[in-house]
Amino acid sequence: MIRLLLCAALMLCMPAAFFAQPPAEDDVLLAAMRAELNRARQLQLEDLDRPYYIEYAVHDTEMLYASATMGSLADSRVQRARLPRVRVRVGDYDFDNGNYIYSDSMVGTAYSLSAFPIDDRPLAIRRHLWLVTDLVYKSALQVIARKRAAVKNVTVAEVIPDFSRAEPVKIVQPLKRLALDRAASENLVRRLSLALRAYPALAASGVELQISTGGFYFVNTEGTEVRIPENLVRFQVRATAQAPDGMALRDGANFLGRDTGELPTEEDLLAAVRAVGTNLTSLKQAPVGENYTGPVLFEPLAAAQLLADMFGRNLGHRRRPIAEPGRALSFAESELEGRIGSRILPEWMDIVDDPSARDWNGKPLLGQYPVDLEGVVPKPLTIVESGILKTLLSTRQPTKNRTGSNGRARLYGNFAANAASFGNLIVKTSQTASWTDLTRRLAQLCADRGKPYGLLVRKMDFPSTASGGEFQRMASRMAQSGGTARMVSQPLLLYRVYPDGREELVRGMRFRDLNFRSLRDIAASGGDAVVFSYLENGAPMALMGATSIVAESSVVAPGLLFEELQLERTEEDLPRLPIVPPPPVEPTS
Amino acid sequence: MERALKAAVVTLAASMLCLAQAPDLLSSLSAELSRNYAVLKAQGDPPPYYIAYEVTEEQGCTVAATLGALQASNCEHSRILDVTVRVGSPQLDNYHRVAGERPVFTSAARLPIEDVPWPIRQTIWRETDRVYRNAAERLIKLKTSTQVRVAREDDSPDFTNEKPYVFSAPPKRASIQLAQLEEQARRWSALFVSRPAILTSQVVIGIRNQTKYLVSTEGTRLVHGRTFSRIVIGASTRAPDGMDLTTGETFEAEDPSGLPAEKTVLSAIERVARQLELLRAAPVAEPFVGPAILSGRAAGVFFHEIFGHRVEGHRQKDESEGQTFTKSVGQQVLPNFLSVVFDPTRRRAAGAELNGFYLYDDEGIPAQKVTVVEAGVLKTFLMSRSPLQQFDRSNGHGRRQPGSEVVSRQSNMIIESGKTVSDTALREMLKQEVRRQGKPYGLLFEQVTGGFTQTRRGGLQAFAVIPLVVYRVFPDGRPDELVRGVEIVGTPLASFAKIAATSDRPEVFNGYCGAESGTIPVSAVSPALLVTEIETQRKEQSTDRPPLLPPPGNES
Repeated sequence: MIRLLLCAALMLCMPAAFFAQPPAEDDVLLAAMRAELNRARQLQLEDLDRPYYIEYAVHDTEMLYASATMGSLADSRVQRARLPRVRVRVGDYDFDNGNYIYSDSMVGTAYSLSAFPIDDRPLAIRRHLWLVTDLVYKSALQVIARKRAAVKNVTVAEVIPDFSRAEPVKIVQPLKRLALDRAASENLVRRLSLALRAYPALAASGVELQISTGGFYFVNTEGTEVRIPENLVRFQVRATAQAPDGMALRDGANFLGRDTGELPTEEDLLAAVRAVGTNLTSLKQAPVGENYTGPVLFEPLAAAQLLADMFGRNLGHRRRPIAEPGRALSFAESELEGRIGSRILPEWMDIVDDPSARDWNGKPLLGQYPVDLEGVVPKPLTIVESGILKTLLSTRQPTKNRTGSNGRARLYGNFAANAASFGNLIVKTSQTASWTDLTRRLAQLCADRGKPYGLLVRKMDFPSTASGGEFQRMASRMAQSGGTARMVSQPLLLYRVYPDGREELVRGMRFRDLNFRSLRDIAASGGDAVVFSYLENGAPMALMGATSIVAESSVVAPGLLFEELQLERTEEDLPRLPIVPPPPVEPTS
Repeated sequence: MERALKAAVVTLAASMLCLAQAPDLLSSLSAELSRNYAVLKAQGDPPPYYIAYEVTEEQGCTVAATLGALQASNCEHSRILDVTVRVGSPQLDNYHRVAGERPVFTSAARLPIEDVPWPIRQTIWRETDRVYRNAAERLIKLKTSTQVRVAREDDSPDFTNEKPYVFSAPPKRASIQLAQLEEQARRWSALFVSRPAILTSQVVIGIRNQTKYLVSTEGTRLVHGRTFSRIVIGASTRAPDGMDLTTGETFEAEDPSGLPAEKTVLSAIERVARQLELLRAAPVAEPFVGPAILSGRAAGVFFHEIFGHRVEGHRQKDESEGQTFTKSVGQQVLPNFLSVVFDPTRRRAAGAELNGFYLYDDEGIPAQKVTVVEAGVLKTFLMSRSPLQQFDRSNGHGRRQPGSEVVSRQSNMIIESGKTVSDTALREMLKQEVRRQGKPYGLLFEQVTGGFTQTRRGGLQAFAVIPLVVYRVFPDGRPDELVRGVEIVGTPLASFAKIAATSDRPEVFNGYCGAESGTIPVSAVSPALLVTEIETQRKEQSTDRPPLLPPPGNES
């Protein structure tokens, strides 16, 4: 995969260094992992269970991070780390230490272990793995003993195996190290953040650039061996403002790629930064919306965000762990569990998850991966066909509806299992209209219902840039309002569209009862589909910064028209405006 | 400004060059301070009577290695802003302590690391607004709360009256040779490769340039700072019976040039490794009550925990605290041959640099030498700007980690003794005491790692000090015997009375102390102590086993 870098983000355009790759046999980390894994097969404490399965995963990463606010550097660092993950299963595939509420508990002290070595020194690496494996194995023994006792006291509705079998694979790819040019990155964030000085409406703003480069290493006792590149470039702009009535407003934009060359040009990034300034300036002056029930049109980007939000955390099978009587367990099944074979979308819509696709109509996709976190190779899957849910995504954790992984283990999960998430979710429609037709259709629906205006969503707050406090408030509001108790992203840019085509920005609105039932009634789709890429992390609304392990994902979708959705005013106590006016803006030279 | 540019960490130096003409951070802080204060004073309800901005700027690198392999190598440059807004009056303001409540207004906001005024001022403005709202809200709550009306034993005001200080001495910043530090950490940590009985080991080298900026509406304007350089050696293992054991040594200095030469580090590593191997094979100590010697370093920790924390001023007015010494001013609290001095102005003692050295505290009060105990009699407390009935001024001990609220904290604690004998004589005295009490042996605490203490009223008022290296000393001339698994326990007041004599050779314990205002650098200087009775318990027995498989060999 050698791609000519079309000098995109100008200053980022330094050729990525291609280091000479050692063959798999000479990769010190991989060899050390393999050697220690082989030794660990002999583990046995007295006459207790031996491990029947052991895996070592290491995320090897070097990261450059630079952030700036209004032309001034706020943070800049380069960090290198290796994050290991060791799993040991005792018992057998049918009954092991997994799928139990205490499956993740560690027993005993952790040998004062410090960070995993980042130098390629076999001895240091192997000693670390040796001690972690010892600790994890002993904990697994404790867990299985406890689980055996627990199952004597609870009735398990259906006996499902604990771990499914998978074909061993050997996928050792060359790593492709991205260049980490610190000075150039610092200058880029400085330059781009400076543009936001021109928007006095902003209370805070920031531009961030992160370049991570490294590899994912994985070996297991079934013979699987993996080394694949893990590279990511992320550019982000965020800003906040406060409306005259005190309402907190925010907007942002996010660009992701596997390589610096996949980012937009600096000119386009600058335009995106300025758009955030313009949007917030407009939002600040915009009227607060009014409660609304009626047709809503999503532009392609907003439609892709909505689908990502709805499907991101719901396409995976989830399994309730064995609990203990009287012990509270917070566990939510996927809303889609049990709906396989039912219609969840209009019959003219299909959805495919294709982790093998690198691009879509020439636009790079972020969700391509050769092998998942469990060493399973994913194949394209038709998730929805003619509106009917065909299958869900699975890992090696068997569930009541499925045994066998389809290679979607992309996030680390609880109870000694991983969580499934899609790669590239591609929406295909057999009836598609032009964007103009779609807006005409919206106007028609409004006219039929005697609505003075329809609503248009241009951007959703997904992945959410809410602060921790804001997120808490949203969660508690949602809990109070009852409903489906599911957090749904809110629109960031929402417009009233009048019969004459005039658009009016409104603020302070949120969806009410937006859920899978709403998707069945999508009235039409249209416009050119877009690629929306984001980092799925399993948190509600994929809240940014919620977790450190993320799944690179893309959604391809056209614009969508809903015949009827409900939006309501956020109705909350608004903070007062600051007594002190902001400091005077200096000229941007 | 010129200085700040020259001193920047290597990797950042280039990025700052274009900004040489910009006004410095202090000007931005001052400008925003007067602007915010003027408006809030005129329009705020309640208006503030005091605002201060403190910025802690740190540039530094930390490298860590194990068995010759680097584990981390990170450099950071940050500026953390702490905003203090006081509304009400010094008599009653938003910081007023209500039993058990510890209001926190600051939020460790990050400031841009370049001296461009507008982005810096915008952050300060935003943060001032946030802190002012919270301060006003708490004052209103306090005024309507009945708790405030209940007469307290200490009805002192909430803020001392002090004069402003203006001082600017941007510290000389140590240049950091990252590649060299990495090589040292690798080379030194590799010494543990040949010690298979040791399970984990690590060498950490850290250098941190710190500059503090403080401006207040009283007129204080400060720029000062220092560098913290350290080498930390640590190792751990597990004895065959499952007991986890650790040993370690640290070296602290201001400038990296003050860190020891390679030879000294290498012998420290050898010592740490050897001691751990010996400990692993050592017998487990039995619970013990009897005489003991605490080495100077062990005594320093002992005093820091059981005495130092109890003379921190703010504890005397918090009624949820045990208040061991609140009413003891003028009374004998220690043997009359002991004095306790806290002296943050002192840079060195007993041949070592002191970690608790600073010029001004985090409320802008000059560091000063405070004699807390003179000839056994309690004279005063460590004071921040939170006054006490008898003490209405700060003595320069208001300290915090950025992001926490200031309380009174320790600095360099120096134990002075008027009853000293040589180390050899002290050992003889221990043996005599062992014989006198009819005990089979006494204990010698050579090294301790640290400890903790419980000062709250609801707690046990107890303390624990965690010894690393302890010997049994026999009265009959047998060699000392290393034991493992000892923990010192006890209650504070009882322990002081039992100090019988001290050695004539002070030792330094440098470390970091964690409490409600965060982690701050401190040190303790003390001679060895002979204590007629100390109580130890056996460390909680772990049921963990040593690793099941032998360690991997060196196949490389």
